Amino acid sequence: MRIYEVFLKRKGKQEFRHAGSLEAADDELALVLARESYVRRAEGDSIWLVDRDHLVVGDEEFVAPNADKPHRHNDGGRVAERRQRIHEENS
Amino acid sequence: MDDFEAFLDDGGIVEADDDMPDAYREAVFRFIELHANSELMGGLTEREWIPRTPGLRHKMAVLAKTQDEIGHGHLLYMVAADLGCKTRPDMLEDLFAGNSRFHNVFHYRAKTWGDQVAIAFLVDAAALATQQAVFKNCSYGPYKRILRRIIAEEGFHMRFGEERMLRIAEGTDIQRAMFQQSIDDWWWPALQLFGPDSKPDDKLLRWHIKSERNEVLRDRWVQKFVPLLHGYGFTIPDPGLAFDQEADRWMVGSIDWEPLKRTLRQGGPDSARRISEAAANWADTRWVRDALERVSRRREAA
Ligand SMILES: [Fe+2]
Ligand SMILES: [Fe+2]
Repeated sequence: MRIYEVFLKRKGKQEFRHAGSLEAADDELALVLARESYVRRAEGDSIWLVDRDHLVVGDEEFVAPNADKPHRHNDGGRVAERRQRIHEENS
Repeated sequence: MDDFEAFLDDGGIVEADDDMPDAYREAVFRFIELHANSELMGGLTEREWIPRTPGLRHKMAVLAKTQDEIGHGHLLYMVAADLGCKTRPDMLEDLFAGNSRFHNVFHYRAKTWGDQVAIAFLVDAAALATQQAVFKNCSYGPYKRILRRIIAEEGFHMRFGEERMLRIAEGTDIQRAMFQQSIDDWWWPALQLFGPDSKPDDKLLRWHIKSERNEVLRDRWVQKFVPLLHGYGFTIPDPGLAFDQEADRWMVGSIDWEPLKRTLRQGGPDSARRISEAAANWADTRWVRDALERVSRRREAA
């Protein structure tokens, strides 16, 4: 048996969003089970199923180095400071 | 643990793959397993009523409700299994062997259609109130997300319950007498579903699984249903029930918790039959699981 992650999308509204998981024997049965467990009352208009074993995972440790890259940001602080200085010099 | 609790107090959400203290993992798992077992046992009870439900529209609704409840069980067992404490088959085997708990209300027998209406109205409302209180501020992400859809579906069940209750309230004397008997039988089990007053150091509250104390939820339910049932001319089987003018609230009499405790030991009036029927059903459907295993193996081989 396989575990599938279930994603649903509402037409014209949202991107695909994770809804939960289920266990099924194959792709076809998994789709039926997904429809009958997760889309019983118009919770979405289409379904993506992803075999959990096929997920490629980047964990926190892998992502962490990108938390330390201040040069990728600009909070506008220096701009405001400079603007203020020029404004004061001209007035 | 202090850091973890501070993280939870700060509104932190825990996911299945995250590090978490063993005690938290255990507590969340036990809570979800109890919920899953209750959904499944409830669904099996509901199923018994499909052929006996009066009227095609309501029969179809009961069919849908049965499928909802079994579905709730399935989704919750998936969430519980991901915590890694027990596999899904182990949880089911434990339940059918009588080694696992499920809610007190499913240890009683629904004898009449009136009982079934009282369950959908009173019991589903109680279950819904407890689920909403968990959903509101639940620190375990996968459970919170599944609760959102369960709560939406329970809302339909409760509304059907209310509709049926209203039909009976406007019905014949015989129908009204039948429903009065159902209230007499189900009032206390429904009220006890909330459990005794929460302990001051309740871990489920500390860890933001539950967001409200049992006695608060129970009281809110009492304040809603006492006037409602009185309004339709039914009585409530609590000789101690009284309206406190000063507090502007209904006060219930003393609650006997013995019946609830008996159900925790599988000693309720219908526990043995319920468990053995569920176990027989599990055995009877073995061929389906075997067939699925064969499909699965063929797929792996291909
Ligand atoms: Fe349910
Ligand atoms: Fe329900």
